Amino acid sequence: MEVVLYLKNKIRMKKTKFKIVIASGKGGVGKSMLASSLSMLLAKSKKIIAVDCDVDAPNFHLWLGQNGRWDKIEKISVSERPVIDFKKCTGCGQCIKICAFGAFKLKKGKPVLNKFFCEGCGACEIICPSKAISMKKVKNAEIRIKKEINGFPLISAQLYPGETGSGKIVDQIKEKAEKFDYEVMILDAPGGSGCPVIAALNGADFALLVTEPTPSGFSDIKRVLPVVDHFGIPYGLVINKWDINPEWSEKIEKWAGKKLLGRISYDKKIFQAIAKLRPIIETNLPVKKEIKKIYLKLRKILP
Amino acid sequence: MVQIGITGGKGGTGKSTFSILLANKLREAGKRVILFDADVECPNDYLLLGQRLEFSKTKIYARFPKIDKKKCLKCGICVRNCRSNAIFQAPGEFPIFLHELCSGCGLCWHLCPQQAIKIEKKIIGEVFKNKIDKDFYLVTSRSVGIVDETGPIVSKAKQYVWSLAKKLKADYLLTDTAVGMHCGVIRALIGVDLAYAVTEPTPLGAHDLELMLKLLKILKLPTKIVLNQYGLGKNHFIEKIARENNIDIKYKIPHSKKVVDFYSRGKLGELILL
Repeated sequence: MEVVLYLKNKIRMKKTKFKIVIASGKGGVGKSMLASSLSMLLAKSKKIIAVDCDVDAPNFHLWLGQNGRWDKIEKISVSERPVIDFKKCTGCGQCIKICAFGAFKLKKGKPVLNKFFCEGCGACEIICPSKAISMKKVKNAEIRIKKEINGFPLISAQLYPGETGSGKIVDQIKEKAEKFDYEVMILDAPGGSGCPVIAALNGADFALLVTEPTPSGFSDIKRVLPVVDHFGIPYGLVINKWDINPEWSEKIEKWAGKKLLGRISYDKKIFQAIAKLRPIIETNLPVKKEIKKIYLKLRKILP
Repeated sequence: MVQIGITGGKGGTGKSTFSILLANKLREAGKRVILFDADVECPNDYLLLGQRLEFSKTKIYARFPKIDKKKCLKCGICVRNCRSNAIFQAPGEFPIFLHELCSGCGLCWHLCPQQAIKIEKKIIGEVFKNKIDKDFYLVTSRSVGIVDETGPIVSKAKQYVWSLAKKLKADYLLTDTAVGMHCGVIRALIGVDLAYAVTEPTPLGAHDLELMLKLLKILKLPTKIVLNQYGLGKNHFIEKIARENNIDIKYKIPHSKKVVDFYSRGKLGELILL
């Protein structure tokens, strides 16, 4: 129980609303599996809200046994893109010159936008001497709300394929989630360490970092840590599939020291459970016990 | 030179593993291969190949504005025109630039009537080269510090890779992308001749594969599916999507302890499997 005391000391106790972010750096190490299981366990005694911050490829709902059928879908815009009025455009090339991202190319004397390079900064609109460019809002994503699933609400979002702005979308779903009445918010971060991960971790009270015992898993955890430390968030570590490589597990455990919250075994049957959209907590798999142990520690850390 | 992108949407489906296995196959056939690890947030290919990232070949910079207080007249033109809200000015004070919000678009220093805004360069990424053998090179791009927008790092690292490929007369350039479908992934995929979408036989794999196929369609890229962990879940999830989209499942890779073993020992470059 040393870990519990240690982490408890690190957390500000007066908080009534508590945000836990699950992150890993590397993808596919078990973030959503753990996030969904812990949400379901915590929901028995706390008012939970689940937030899927992986807006590129959201999977939280699947781990909760839900496919499709949202209660509310809301289209949102988080960025703008230039639209050129070719009646006004003289082909002077100022927009091409100012664009720091190389998003314009001159074709037959007129600028053509490659939207995949545009950052939406609007420099072209202001620089254009003929006022031929205007910035227009882009529908980048949709926010999806499930009012009740396994006893708590789930907020998710989908970035439309080919669009960008995942960090800003995460900001928006967090804002939406804040309006709900909750005690613990569970945020499932995407892989990586870039904008959506930073957005998910911003303002968190605790980070649950998940890794697997491979050189990649270990390396990627160390890539996310600077973000966690940047915000000064206390964290605990979980090693998933620890038995696929006990040697590396030991190495990571040593490194984690007091921050180790638990380990979970590898079980091929998880694949079969998820194939049937069965939440892990509703199965009788041995991993369920291991997750429960982690939950009990987490429960003690919470205010 | 043939350029192949390896992507997938979902994490942990085996993008990096497949990239190296494909490189091994091509080398067996006597081809010269460059593998570009475009996962700048969490690059791993070097670990699977037992390499270290020691000396960076190229540094990647972003530009940020910096105020020259001697020239600034506090007119506020920069503040009014910044769309990222990255410039803050209290009444009667000099403007303050917030790097976390700045996209580096350069409009402020362009507009400043006093030319009081200077350009400051900050390292946001670096590029490493590892020679595995005479016909196999690895190029790794990695972000430095906490970087929000990783797309520009990928684009700039790509320029390095292209010039290296030209110099070495490479037959194949394999680009291993990050997870997800964000700007870094899109930038990595632009310009490839063929994309492999690596997935797993679960509803998660299927869900993310469908999204990825939509993106690849928008990017107009010829696509093939790689079904990893074949037989572990329910293959029909993926087979159905392949049928509906009229896309081949080019490789089916069964779950194997051998791959896991070679993977964790950094010896994947030695495994011939495809």
